[in-house]
Amino acid sequence: MNHDETSALLLRPEARPKRAGYVNAVMGSAAHAVTMIMRRKRFAMAAIIAFMPVLIPLALAFLSKAAFADEGNVIFVRLCEQLHMPVLAPLLALFFASMLVAEDIETQTIPYVLTRPLPRSAWVLGRFLAYLLVATTILGLSITMTFAASATLSKLSLTNTNDLLLLGHYILVALAALTAYGALAVFLGVFTKRPIVYGVLLLYGWQKIAMIIPGVVDFLTISKYVEALYPVLATQRNVVEVQTALGTFQKQIFAVSATRAVVMILLVTAVFLVSSIVAVRRREYGTGRAAGS
Amino acid sequence: MSAIIEAHSLSKWFGEVMAINNLDLVIEPGVTGLLGPNGAGKSTFIKLALGLHGPSRGEVRVLGQPPRNNMGVLRRIGYCPEIDNFYDNTTGFEFVYWLNRYWGMGARAAAVKAEEACEMVRMTGRMHDPIEEYSKGMRQRIKIAQALAAHPELLFLDEPMNGLDPQGRDEMYSLIQQLGDAGLSVIVSSHILYEIERITDSVVLLYNGALIAQGRVRDIRELIDRHPHTIRIESPDPRPLAREFAGDPGIMIVEIERDAVIVRTQDPNGCYQKLNDLMLEGRLPIVSMECSDDSLQAVFDYLTK
Repeated sequence: MNHDETSALLLRPEARPKRAGYVNAVMGSAAHAVTMIMRRKRFAMAAIIAFMPVLIPLALAFLSKAAFADEGNVIFVRLCEQLHMPVLAPLLALFFASMLVAEDIETQTIPYVLTRPLPRSAWVLGRFLAYLLVATTILGLSITMTFAASATLSKLSLTNTNDLLLLGHYILVALAALTAYGALAVFLGVFTKRPIVYGVLLLYGWQKIAMIIPGVVDFLTISKYVEALYPVLATQRNVVEVQTALGTFQKQIFAVSATRAVVMILLVTAVFLVSSIVAVRRREYGTGRAAGS
Repeated sequence: MSAIIEAHSLSKWFGEVMAINNLDLVIEPGVTGLLGPNGAGKSTFIKLALGLHGPSRGEVRVLGQPPRNNMGVLRRIGYCPEIDNFYDNTTGFEFVYWLNRYWGMGARAAAVKAEEACEMVRMTGRMHDPIEEYSKGMRQRIKIAQALAAHPELLFLDEPMNGLDPQGRDEMYSLIQQLGDAGLSVIVSSHILYEIERITDSVVLLYNGALIAQGRVRDIRELIDRHPHTIRIESPDPRPLAREFAGDPGIMIVEIERDAVIVRTQDPNGCYQKLNDLMLEGRLPIVSMECSDDSLQAVFDYLTK
């Protein structure tokens, strides 16, 4: 291209894109984040881990010789309530959401983003939506495949409406869990330098301890509200967290209704996301470090 | 002509480190070189102008408005940072495309603008190759492409010549001149006067976060020419070498160190010619030589005395 052609390309003020809408900005941020997440090795690793529960009902169906094996619906509910929600949902949040903002700071690509006419809130929200889409797809597929695998056992059918409603219910609970855990993970990524370490301590340490301590400290966990959303009649609960009689008694006294649990999950999500957005907006990200943090 | 950047009593500090110190500065449209040694505050000034940092005191206005979190200003500027970092597993085209999406462009517009920008910096042929396979010069061009993609009025180039080979530098000089000729205002930072001299005649000199001079490059060049150049010549036998220079009328001071001679001269060309002759004759062993004035540090010391 010669000099005149370059000049012609540059001197076109009419060619400058028009002011972008907020939704467009969020969608741009989300689309990039989805692409980045899916190109990472971490994505494949998380997917493999998330699909492991599918093997359990299959192993029971084809390998177990136990005469009194659990029925398919019991296995499915147990896997959802003991693996998918308390273990895999926080794991996916830590895998994907904790680095959504922190990664750009670490790789020093943040000045490119922050010198765009992009509201910082749109950037954070777009990335959060990308995480939610990817993590919900992985966990939702895992729950669906676990359901299908459990249907190889008795008392669970791929065509029974009630069974399919049960599946839909658990997918919605998974979405709620991923939303709250993801917001917490974004918050940790913005406010700490080791979000995964703090995330593991909070989600696998504190949450477990709080659930077995007698009293009301379990209100300070996300899992309290996630568990309140489990389908009541399907809860063949072998909840290992409630180890003591006193603990069981108090958990019953301070039970949370599903509506209040949803409100709490939305509130927790909003608080963590808004705090993260305010921090990102106020901070000075020159290169790799955040000044004034 | 209205100023594109105005700084009034602008200060920025990070903890106890004063990066910009009470700076009053007006930059007019056109290509301007931001010159200063490492740590002078050039990058901090650019980041203040981009709104990446907020002033600790005073104010900075870009295109008439404060830039921090100001979408109206950010729509009109482009930035090519000094850092050489990119998103992982990305081609040059994708890099520009995704940053266009952050600009708020839809998928189709972002792709068209990315292609245009790659063409402007002559990267069309390699734009679909992974950035990991690019040379330093190509990476610089892609960084400039992302800054140009949305047709900015004002472009910030932070140390764009860093790490480039001579051919890459020549290409960069030519590109920046073209951008200036095309009507863009460009702020180019560098710590090497020679680089700025190749691009523009308008220069701002920063030192220790303060403005010490602003004007034409040739005025700065005259200051440098009046200031003695220091050349350090390493030799295992420095005394005979010092004798060679001692009688030369262009030489002001000759100092002898253990394995080196330090020569201060107002006639650097004559001095280099003499060194060439000595090396060709092969009478005196010379291991290496270094001109400490290359970094401009001596001129800045001189100006700030």
